[in-house]
Amino acid sequence: MPEIILSLKGVTKRYGGVPAVSELDMAVTRGSITGFLGPNGAGKTTSLRMALGILRPDAGQVRLFGRPPSARTLDRVGFLPEERGIYRKMTAEQVIAFFARLKGVGAAEAMKRARDRLARFGLEGAGRKKIRELSKGMAQKVQIIAAMAHEPEFIILDEPFSGLDPVNQQVLESLIRAEAESGKTILFSTHVMEHAERLCDRIVLIARGKKVFDGRVDEALAAAPRRVVIETPPGEDVEALLSRFGAVVRIPGAEGAGQAWQVDLAPGAGAQEVLKACVEAGVRLARFEPARPHLHDAFVRLVAEKQPELA
Amino acid sequence: MRAIYLIARREYLSYVATWGFWLSLFSLPLFGLLGFGLPTLIESGQPTRYYVLIDESAAGRFDAAVQAEFDQGRQMRAREALRAAGRMVADEARIEAAVAALEARDGLDGLPDALRMLGLPADALPLDSLAGRYVRVAAPGAAAEDLRPYLMGEMTMSTPEGLQPLFAVVVIRPDGAGAAVDYWSANLTDDGLKNQVTRAVQAALRRDALLAEGVAAGALAAADALRPAVRELHPSREAAEADVRVEERLPLYMGIALAFMLWTVVFSVVNMLLTALIEEKGGKILEVLLASARYHEILTGKLLGVAAVSATLLLFWGGLGAVTLIGVQQFAQAADLPVADILGALFDPALLLPAAGYFVVGYLMFGSVFLAVGSLCETLQEAQTLMGPLLLIMMAPLFIVMTALNSLDSPFLAFASWVPFWTPFVMMARLPAGVPPAEIAATTALMLATMTAIIWAAAVVFRQGALGRADAGSVRKLLRFGRKAKG
Repeated sequence: MPEIILSLKGVTKRYGGVPAVSELDMAVTRGSITGFLGPNGAGKTTSLRMALGILRPDAGQVRLFGRPPSARTLDRVGFLPEERGIYRKMTAEQVIAFFARLKGVGAAEAMKRARDRLARFGLEGAGRKKIRELSKGMAQKVQIIAAMAHEPEFIILDEPFSGLDPVNQQVLESLIRAEAESGKTILFSTHVMEHAERLCDRIVLIARGKKVFDGRVDEALAAAPRRVVIETPPGEDVEALLSRFGAVVRIPGAEGAGQAWQVDLAPGAGAQEVLKACVEAGVRLARFEPARPHLHDAFVRLVAEKQPELA
Repeated sequence: MRAIYLIARREYLSYVATWGFWLSLFSLPLFGLLGFGLPTLIESGQPTRYYVLIDESAAGRFDAAVQAEFDQGRQMRAREALRAAGRMVADEARIEAAVAALEARDGLDGLPDALRMLGLPADALPLDSLAGRYVRVAAPGAAAEDLRPYLMGEMTMSTPEGLQPLFAVVVIRPDGAGAAVDYWSANLTDDGLKNQVTRAVQAALRRDALLAEGVAAGALAAADALRPAVRELHPSREAAEADVRVEERLPLYMGIALAFMLWTVVFSVVNMLLTALIEEKGGKILEVLLASARYHEILTGKLLGVAAVSATLLLFWGGLGAVTLIGVQQFAQAADLPVADILGALFDPALLLPAAGYFVVGYLMFGSVFLAVGSLCETLQEAQTLMGPLLLIMMAPLFIVMTALNSLDSPFLAFASWVPFWTPFVMMARLPAGVPPAEIAATTALMLATMTAIIWAAAVVFRQGALGRADAGSVRKLLRFGRKAKG
């Protein structure tokens, strides 16, 4: 049984009587990459702040390394908040060294690490520049480095990809993988499901402060509707034929061109059966495309199941 | 402790790197210099005023009186300058002999002899400034009406400085037993010449009246020369030792000076604290800090960092003051300053310890409030809307302490000592004058209780404000709710 690094049990937080997080249970095990997913305003940031002890829950229990969050446990955590901020009048080296020292790294070692990490991120020339002289992307990289310079066991990243261009998103994904491979535990929140799909071992889905899913990515994807897209020449009407296999939606296309349908397969129905039925019915198929389920679709389905009022 | 130290250190280094710090560091000495030097600068910067005097009396008796008044003024200035210059080169006996030589002749006629007796060159004293800034010139016309264009600057006349307009025309004419003075001038603010002429004419009239009543001229001169010998005595000492010495007043002045200094430092640094926190809040840095340190560590670190900035300011100013005093004593013996007594009063533990205590409490009270306000605001404009009433509370002690300059026993000062926000400054000014121990204890207790409550409340507000769960709008809502509830 892997060690639990972070656990939230029945955690609730209200603002002005309105629940931001309701009875949330979740656990992050050592060495895992856990995605904490949900739309904007779902309660992700509040939950992470409670995990760090920045906010006190109104009810429930938070355990970080098996004990309530404290200065000592926080030294083992690296945190990148959603709202990025950094001392603009300090140099990149000074900022990284300052935050590393706050986490218990000695002065000389902190400065050495700052220089090493900046070089690793391709920011050698930026070390002695003030943050205000750097581009936004470079400043974000400096903050990511600052969050990890003390080599924490547990890294919490709140919306780490927001504000980064695609190239730097890729760099960050590689960094997260590299940190995980070196044995670090990673928890990151995002509302962009693709990152979680590519990176996570486990995901926790949250909507309106309530958990709607907690498990492996493939388990979540199993909840997503499987889909087939069919295209035929004009004049073919396959709607009645396809409706046996699930919900059929006609995809609007150009006038005079082929016509397309999307079939959301019902439980038990498969793409092969749809293809077989089309061939047997003599349908002239211009396109037959089973679509891979996405986490986004799984999320929509799970929310619809657990919180029908949101669907 | 580590987080507190690192945050305090970062705060300190970031403040001392700002222009604001260096401005604060040099502002007090600069204002001091201006305070001492400005009057002299203004005086020396005044242009020479050329005037014409027309005496219509018989035998020009008022003209002579005005001349005598001006001569006395010149001689008095020369006497002071001679004594000041003499202290650098001669002993007291030689100085007094030189002064006697000066006084032996009219006006500045005795000055060359006096300078020679001191072994000083003839141009050792600036004759221009000793002569005064009102210089009489010969009238180019016989009547005041003829001189009007000169007064209006339409015409100029020859002076030692070249062609100049006239500053004033003074016409003195007999008026029954007395005299009437017509003072013509386009300058309505400089009354110096008018006052001197009035004094001189008044003295001449008085003298003439007394002579007419049969008082002997010698007796009159002897009466004019009479001066009372004033002794200031303290009732707590025996008559022989009752004289009040200058150094006895020093603690009183020092108390007021320290009160001003405390106020200046607290006001400067809490503003720095506010600006920096708003910058941090606006820059979203607080949440990053909160993942590394707890609220109380951040608050304490910030307060300590800025306290160190304040200590730097105070030490610099205190050191500079001491060095200046010693320098004045060493290199310019002209200044008859009781330097040792001043230093003794400045570094007197009976004043320094309360000053340190009052500074800590005053700083913590105002610093906590400013930090709380800063945590609620993301811009200085937002902060300004909340700061209005606070600034009034902060400015009040400055004016209250000013009243202490003349009346340390004012009941208003005693009342103000009981307002905890003002206690540190007002009590600092009052302490050297002797405040009953019970009053000190009670005001201190009230002040400490208030400080504790303020720090607690500021911590609560900071906690809410730091993560954006409360802002300037929340305060406005709270105040509106308060008014509604009251209504």
